Formats: sequence, C-alpha cells, structure tokens
Amino acid sequence: MIEVSGLHKSFGSHHVLRGVDLLVEDGQSMVVIGGSGSGKSVLIKHIIGLLKPDKGSVFVDGEDITGLDARHLYEVRRKFGMLFQGAALFDSMTVWENVSFALTRSGMKPKEAKEVAIEKLRLVGLSGIEDLMPSELSGGMRKRVGLARAIAHQPQILLYDEPTTGIDPIMADAINDLIIKMREELNVTSVAITHDMQSAYKIAGRIAFLYEGNIIESGTPDEIKSTSNPYTKQFITGSAQGPIKIEGVELKRA
Amino acid sequence: MPGGPSLYRLLEFLGSACIRFTRTLGSVLILFAETLKEMLFPPFEIKNTFKQMQEVGIKSVPVVIITAVFTGMVLAFQTFTGFKRFGAEALVGTVVALSMTREMGPVLTGLVVAGRAGAAMAAELGTMRVTEQIDALETLSTSPVKYLIVPRFVASMIMLPCLTIIADMLGILGGYAIAVWLYGMSSALYWRRAWNYLEMNDIYGGLAKACFFGAAIAIVCCYRGFYTEGGAEGVGKATTGAVVMSFMTILISDYFLGAWLLK
Ligand SMILES: Nc1ncnc2c1ncn2[C@@H]1O[C@H](COP(=O)(O)OP(=O)(O)OP(=O)(O)O)[C@@H](O)[C@H]1O
Ligand SMILES: [Mg+2]
Repeated sequence: MIEVSGLHKSFGSHHVLRGVDLLVEDGQSMVVIGGSGSGKSVLIKHIIGLLKPDKGSVFVDGEDITGLDARHLYEVRRKFGMLFQGAALFDSMTVWENVSFALTRSGMKPKEAKEVAIEKLRLVGLSGIEDLMPSELSGGMRKRVGLARAIAHQPQILLYDEPTTGIDPIMADAINDLIIKMREELNVTSVAITHDMQSAYKIAGRIAFLYEGNIIESGTPDEIKSTSNPYTKQFITGSAQGPIKIEGVELKRA
Repeated sequence: MPGGPSLYRLLEFLGSACIRFTRTLGSVLILFAETLKEMLFPPFEIKNTFKQMQEVGIKSVPVVIITAVFTGMVLAFQTFTGFKRFGAEALVGTVVALSMTREMGPVLTGLVVAGRAGAAMAAELGTMRVTEQIDALETLSTSPVKYLIVPRFVASMIMLPCLTIIADMLGILGGYAIAVWLYGMSSALYWRRAWNYLEMNDIYGGLAKACFFGAAIAIVCCYRGFYTEGGAEGVGKATTGAVVMSFMTILISDYFLGAWLLK
C-alpha cells in the first residue's frame, strides 16, 4: 500500500506540489493524469524516495520512507520497479545487461540472467535486440526496454512514467495489456502517469487528476468520465477552451 | 562616505565568493567521506575498478610518455645551456633526475590525467545524471557512489603513481638523449650525476604526491559530474569546471605537499 500525505515540494521559488494526498491500495492500479509540467514525474519520484519532500510523508506498506537512511531505502526499493519517462537506460551496457541489471547485482549468473532478460523483452514485444546497445534503439524501443528492466526483478509495486508515450497505437495497446496482466496475474500495485486518456481508462482502477499542485479529483474511470468538475472535464476531453488557461497562447475562435 | 557603495559591493562579492568556496569544499569532503565509507563495505566493484584502471591508466600511457620525454628533453636542454655559463653543465643529470621525480613527474601526470580521464569522468557522470541514469541506479537498489565513484577513485589513486613511475623514467631518458646524443656528454657521467644526488625519498615523495593527485582528481571530477544540472549545457559546464578545479587542486596542493613531504 502506498500513502502520500500532505506532500509539498518546491524547486527554488517554484512551488510544484502543494499538499498532495494519494492512497493506493494493494493490488490497485492508480493512474495519475495532469498537464505537462504539473509535477507528475516529481510526484512519482517522491514515491520511490528519489526526491525528498519539503513537507509531508510517503508511506510504503505503512513505513514512512521520507526519513529512511540510504541502506534501508535500498531495501524498500527492492519492492519497486520503475519505468522512467525517458527510459533512463544505462548507455554503457547492452540491452540485456540493462534488463537484468537488478538480477546480476543480486548474484544471478550472467547466462541465466540473459535468459530472463530475453524472456522479459519478449513480454514487451521485443526480440533479437538483446545484444544491441541502447543508442541503437528507437525511442519507443528504449521505452519498452525500460519497461522490461522495471519488471525483471518481479517487484510488488510498479511505477510507470508515461509507459505508452512515443509508442505506436497498436504497441501501446499491447503495453496496456501487459500492465493489466501484471496486475491480474501477479497482483502488483501500480502507479502510472499518462496523458493518454484511452490508456488511462483501460488500465486504471482509479484515476487521480493533478492540477496546480493538488489532486483535485479522483475516482474510478467511470466516475471521472461523468465528472461535473469543469477542470477535470476540460482535461479529459482535451479541449483548449475552459477554466484551465494555457499561458502565452491566445485563443481566438469565431 | 566616499567610495562607500563600491567598497560595500566589493566586500559583498568577497563574502559571497568565500561562502561559495566553503560550501563547495564542504560538499566535496562529504562526497569523499561517503566514497570512503562505500569503499570499505562489500560488495566490491572489482570488475568496474579494472575497467576504470584501464580508462585512467593504460589509455593515458601514450600521452604521459610524450609529455615526460619532452619535459626531460627541455629540462636537459635548458639546464645545459644555462649552467654552461658558469661551467656547471655536468650537473644536467642531477637537475633532470631531481626535477622529474620530485615535481615534473607527478604534477604533469596529474594534469594529463585530469585533462583526459578526469574530464571523461565528469562528462560521463554528468550525462548519466541529466538522463536520469543515476536515478535509475537508485531505483535498482544500487548506490551510485559505490557503483560509479568508488571504482574511479580507487583506479585513479592506484594508476597515478604507476604512470608517474613511467614519467620519471622516461623524463630521465629524454634528458639523457639531449645531454649525451646532442651535447656529447659522456653517458657514464650523466648516469652518475643523476644517481648520486637522488635519494629514495625524492622518488617516494613524488609518488605520494601522485597518489594524492589521483584521489583528488577522481573526487573533484566525480563531484562535478554527479551534481550536474541543466541538460547538455550543464554537462559541458561540469566538464570544464571539473578540469579547472582539478588543475587548481593539483597546483596548489603540490606546493603544500612538497613543503611537507620533500623538505
Ligand atoms: N530537478 C528539478 N529542478 C528544478 N525544477 C524541476 C526539477 N524537476 C522538475 N522541476 C520542475 O517541476 C515542474 C514539474 O515537473 P515534472 O517533470 O514533474 O512535470 P510532469 O508533470 O511530469 O510533466 P510532463 O507531462 O511534461 O512530463 C516543472 O515545472 C519542472 O520545471
Ligand atoms: Mg513527466
């Protein structure tokens, strides 16, 4: 279970998160939606302890991780797998070494680790690329290798930062299916960030909308679809007209 | 009060420079302490350390050789022509041997490694920072200090003295080439003069300095890379900053280490 409570984070004078509360039950699939630059990536990095909050706490299975020392934090992180928005593959290693990194670090023999890596790569729709370097892959392929790396050590909690962005629609749907399968078969708890509403409706157990540093609405996909909140409504229908103003863009329409 | 505001501004500038310096020094020392701590606990990054020894050490050999040979040649040439004015040209061997082992060997090796391997360390770690690879290591329960910095630190501390030994020997040989082949000095005289006044302490002191430079280069360059901000431009700044900071550290600490180790 993940519980974020009263989370505040500023960078300089830029107050990005302003008291975020979020509860993700075990086995639940939470999708966080929100505009570009609204702090979704910042939020997900707090959940795995990459950023320290200015105020507020993050509980993972009841344990407050914000005050943990490095050694304990690494223990807690073994429960997690994370897909970064930019994939964050290690560019000094081959694809399979990337995927099996956590496994070889915890003592698995390279031969066995490579087999596991190949199997995970197949799960994300990639084959025959295990010996390539990350620089030889396309953006969408890198994303999927990042996903394979995140699930390789069979974590209980998965964090996906825009898993389907930059991937063609058919493959994106396959990724959605994979995320659903992870939840149904392995009962993982997950937090996914996305802009892609179609994907959000498909994979979410609950959807939370992050706006101006707060979760202003959360609910099941059906509740969100039939929301009466004008901000949420504007966001999910993807309209430039509405209460959410886009700075610097003049909207003229006859 | 005449000149008041500008004096005020000068003091403010000096004050903020002092604070910045102290803050940087503090962060570098904290990273150093963390590196030592991570170095002492298993797992040990043997494979990565060997890879870095190759990067820092083996790949620097050609540049070190060229630098050392030419430095030895220049030393011999200048000493010979200069000392000839008061008939002391027989001391060429001594000057070259003492200069190389006590100063030129360790300092030039340090500068070469800082410019080559140190810049690479800062650029590599900086890139890993801005592309979130360092964060990714964290999420995979791997300490980036242990995985990235310790191997560079150990490799650099071991390889710098080794490279310095090479530089010492080749510098003295370069001096030999000029003194003996160009100026027709007797080979036996060059060697005798080189050996007679050279103490073991000169060599050890030089190597101890090299070891310190190795540690300092790795920590300073890894520090700059590790805390890079601001994309590709930030990586560029971190890299040049790392080289400048290493050069300063080497040249300034060289004086104090010399005064302490090589009295
Ligand atoms: N390390 C940092 N230093 C300074 N500012 C930061 C840092 N990380 C994020 N920010 C700022 O925080 C804000 C939120 O960033 P974040 O990456 O979380 O956005 P996001 O919601 O993930 O957007 P996108 O959908 O485009 O990925 C941005 O305005 C960004 O400039
Ligand atoms: Mg983001």
